Amino acid sequence: MADNGGADPVNNNNDTTVGLEGTIIKVTVKTPKDKEEIAISEDASVTQFKEEISRRFKAKQDQLVLIFAGKILKDGDSLNQHGIKDGLTVHLVIKTAHKAGDGASSSSSVTTQVGSSSGNSSGPSSAAHPSTVGSTGGPASAPPQTPNILTGFGGLSSLSSMGMGSANFMELQQQMQSQLMSNPEMLSQIMENPLVQNMMSNPDLMRQMIVANPQMQQLMERNPEISHMLNNPELMRQTMELARNPAMMQEMMRNQDRALSNLESIPGGYNALRRMYTDIQEPMFSAARDQFGNNPFSALGGNSDGGVQPSRTENREPLPNPWGSTNPSEVGGSTGTTGSSATGSTTPNVSNPLGVNSASLGNGMFSSPGMQSLMQQISENPQLMQNMLSAPYMRSIMQSLAQNPDMASQNPASSPSAGENPAQQLMMQQMLQMFAGGNSSSQTPEVQFQQQLEQLGAMGFINREANLQALIATGGDVNAAIERLLGSQPS
Amino acid sequence: MDKHDTTTYSVQLYIYDLSRGMARNLSPIMLGKQLDGIWHSAIVVYGDEFYFGGVGISSCSPGGTMLGSPDTVVELGNTEVTEEIFMDYLSSLGENTYRGDKYRLFEHNCNTFTNEVAQFLTGRKIPSYITDLPSEVLSTPFGQILRPILDSIHIAPPGGNIINGRHS
Repeated sequence: MADNGGADPVNNNNDTTVGLEGTIIKVTVKTPKDKEEIAISEDASVTQFKEEISRRFKAKQDQLVLIFAGKILKDGDSLNQHGIKDGLTVHLVIKTAHKAGDGASSSSSVTTQVGSSSGNSSGPSSAAHPSTVGSTGGPASAPPQTPNILTGFGGLSSLSSMGMGSANFMELQQQMQSQLMSNPEMLSQIMENPLVQNMMSNPDLMRQMIVANPQMQQLMERNPEISHMLNNPELMRQTMELARNPAMMQEMMRNQDRALSNLESIPGGYNALRRMYTDIQEPMFSAARDQFGNNPFSALGGNSDGGVQPSRTENREPLPNPWGSTNPSEVGGSTGTTGSSATGSTTPNVSNPLGVNSASLGNGMFSSPGMQSLMQQISENPQLMQNMLSAPYMRSIMQSLAQNPDMASQNPASSPSAGENPAQQLMMQQMLQMFAGGNSSSQTPEVQFQQQLEQLGAMGFINREANLQALIATGGDVNAAIERLLGSQPS
Repeated sequence: MDKHDTTTYSVQLYIYDLSRGMARNLSPIMLGKQLDGIWHSAIVVYGDEFYFGGVGISSCSPGGTMLGSPDTVVELGNTEVTEEIFMDYLSSLGENTYRGDKYRLFEHNCNTFTNEVAQFLTGRKIPSYITDLPSEVLSTPFGQILRPILDSIHIAPPGGNIINGRHS
C-alpha cells in the first residue's frame, strides 16, 4: 500500500487524495545544517514520516530525532496527534550513531574495549564519518560504544574546531590511536621516552594545560576541591611522579582500592562512594577524554587527572588507557621529527618542524606506518602545523614557555631541518622548549612576578619575601599563592 | 494528548540590557526613537546558559557572564529534548551557521541564535521586541551612519566556555 506522498515521484503537489490516504501536507524538516520540504499524508504516523526523512537525508531511521513544539516525536505517534499541519516546521537532529547510556556503563564499555583492544579496524570505518563531528558536544555525551570508540574521543570535533579541518588528519589520528591501543608495548615505550618524561616533570605546564581546558574549568567551578588539588604543587608533583611510573601508579591504585573497599562495608558508605564517582570522576573522565582531541599536548595533562583521582574517589575500573588515546596526537607532533629521520626523507621545513634528533627519542615506536603517514600528511600541508600551533591551548603553553627562553638554548635541533623560515624556526624552538621541559627562567622571579606581587601587596600580604616564595612555588598563580600564604600562617 | 512518562525540562530566556539603562535614557536623543535597551539574550536550560557571540556558541552557569543577572527572564515553556540531543544539536549549529566568524551584529547575532534555539526546544519564538531591535536601529539616520562601525562589533560576554568553537 502506498504510504505517503514520496511514493510517487511525479506527484509532488499538494493535490488532494491522489489515490493515497488523506491529504498531503508539506512539512518542513529542519536540521542544524539545512532544511527540506517533505510531502506526507496528514494521517501518517511518525514512523512513516521517519522513513521518508531517512531517505531524503540519507540517515538511518533510528538515528533520527524529531522535535515539534518541544516534544520528541515517538514512532508510535501520528503526525495529527502532535498537531503537525501543512507548512509547519519540524526539527530534526541526526544522532551520530552512538547513544549515551549510563555514564558508568559506557565508560566501562570503553575500558573493556581497550582491554581487549580488538576493535581497532574501526579506524578506517569511523573515518568515514565526517559528520560525526558533533559527536561529543557536551559533557553529557558519553564515550561511544565499541565500533566507534575512536570517533567519540572528541578528536574530530575538537580538531576541526582548532582549525585543522582536514579529514585526512583525523583519519590518521584515528589510525594512530588504534595502533597505540592495540599495542601496549608501545605505550610503555612512550612512557619511557625522555621527552614525555620531561614534559611530565613540569608541574606548571601540566597544570596550565589542565586548566586551559574549558571543561576542566567547568568542572572546577562545580567542584572546588579539584581546583584545590590542582593548585597544590606538591600534589601535582606527586601525581606526575605517579603518572610517569606506571608500576607505582598501579600499586597506589591497588592500595586505594583496598582502602575504598573497606569504606564500602560501612553503612551508607557505598552510597557515598557512588556519589563521589558520579559527581567527580565521571565529569573528569569526560573532560579528560574530550581533551585528547583538543590539544595534542595536553593529552598528558588529561591523563594526570586520572592520577589525581585515586586519592579522592573510588576507582571502579582501570583508567581507560589514557596513554593510548592521548598520545597519538602528542606523538603526532613529535612524529614530525623522528618520522622523517626514520624514513630518511629530508623535506626540510614542515615535515621536520621539531627537528629533534631521532636517536634521542627512542626510535622504535615512531617508525610504524601510521606515524609516518601522519608525518607525510603534515609535510604536505604546512597549514596544518600552523593551525595546530595557533590553537588556543597551544598559545597558553607557548606563553608559559616564552617565560623560559633558556629552553631554546637547550635544544640542539636548530639544525638542518630548521629550514630557512625564521618564523618556523621560532615555532620549532618553542615546541622544543616544551619537550625539553625544565623550569629555569631568565628573569629574576621578582621581575617576572612583579605584577602578581603588586596584587598580593594590594590585598594585604605585606611580607614580600613570603609572597615571592609563594609565587615562585605556584609559578605565578596569584590565587594559589594566596592559599599557600594563608596556609602557612597559623591564625 | 497522552504522554508516556517523559521528563520535561524547563526552558527560559534570559534577557540582558547591554547598555545598562543608557539606551533607555539616551536613545530618544541619539536615535530619535525610544529604545528601552540593547538586548542580549541567552537560553537557559538543563541548568546552563547558552548564548552566541563573536567566539561562537558558549555556555556558562546561568547569569555567569560578566553581564551578571538578567534584566528579564521569560519562561519559554518545557521541552522533552534531552541534554544529549541538545548538545548534538548545538554542536551541529556551532559548526555551521553559528561559528564565531558568522557573527553579525545586525543580522546574525545572539538573538538570532536564541530565537532559533527557542523554536527548536519549545516551538515558540522569543519576544519580538528583541528580534526587532536591529531593524529599529537601522531605520534611524543615526543607525545608518553608525552601521559600518557597528557591523564590525562582535559582542562576546566573557565568562563562558565555548562549545565547539573557534577563536577568531
